[in-house]
Amino acid sequence: MQKAMRAIGVCCALALTMSNFAVTAMAAPATEHYLHVKVDDASKGESVNVNLPLSMAAAILPTVNKGTLHNGHVTIGEADFNGVDVRALLDAIRTAPDNEFVTVKEKDQDVRVAKSNGNLIVHVLDKSKDGEKVDVTIPMKVVDALFSTVKDNELDVAAAIRALSDAGDAVLVTVQDATEHVRIWIDSHSTSE
Amino acid sequence: MVLLGKVALGIAGTALAGVGLICSEGMIEVNVVEKQPEAHHVYVLAPAMLVPIGMHFVPSRKLGRAATEIQPWMPTIRAALEQLRAGDDITLVDVREPGQHVLVTKDGGSVVVDVADKDETVHVSAPIRAIESTIEQVAAASADTHD
Repeated sequence: MQKAMRAIGVCCALALTMSNFAVTAMAAPATEHYLHVKVDDASKGESVNVNLPLSMAAAILPTVNKGTLHNGHVTIGEADFNGVDVRALLDAIRTAPDNEFVTVKEKDQDVRVAKSNGNLIVHVLDKSKDGEKVDVTIPMKVVDALFSTVKDNELDVAAAIRALSDAGDAVLVTVQDATEHVRIWIDSHSTSE
Repeated sequence: MVLLGKVALGIAGTALAGVGLICSEGMIEVNVVEKQPEAHHVYVLAPAMLVPIGMHFVPSRKLGRAATEIQPWMPTIRAALEQLRAGDDITLVDVREPGQHVLVTKDGGSVVVDVADKDETVHVSAPIRAIESTIEQVAAASADTHD
């Protein structure tokens, strides 16, 4: 009898602990992610830091109705796609295994487009005197969200921002030339340090 | 004597409640320090609630253009201020160049702008609620001018 009571007591304590964990997990707010833009110009001794909560960007974008931006969607003219079926192209990339899709090596420029670990990677190296190096890494989920609209000539920027928020920490863009360094990234820290 | 005491207590209580009400939306702080040889120092600390109250006395026609221009952006401004108020403290913009430093932060319930250059330093702090009320009043003037 005593053993049974002890077992029931342990079960109750366990259940209470588990329910506490469950309540804590449900009550914990989703981690805020921040979009950081950092521009350093060593030649001029200038630096610019911009930090923006993604939730703010996601809330603001649908309210902007100006120019080509409406309700979080950007309308793109047919000319901007140059006759390329971008959706079909992205679908092909999405279903393809990790690979290098484009590799261009020229005298003054290298270009590389690849898919790796669920990211679309674009790498451009300018070999001229002030050689510029550009690296763009976009999670495929974000690219998918961008093209998730019904209309062919629209990009869903608001959905892309929501997808970015879910994608976790990531360096999206780095641009480095002789004097200037630009970095755009997402993380859960409110400061860019 | 007791009656006088009660009257004094009533006046003091009303004054305290009034001050509490006026300061309930926080304070606007402006601090300008010039670094010239004849340095000027301007420091203003005013209850934020006075600004939207003061806006009531500005004739609508004086705000007409600003009101018309701000009206289409009101949903965006409302969304931004709401998110800003609900979010954590953050440095929104930090620009440094030789001789100049500009910092825009959200600190507590306020937006703080600090500018320091070789001539002067400027510090402005305004509660988000006061900013919101003031902008709403400017936007509302648009409807008034068209009536």
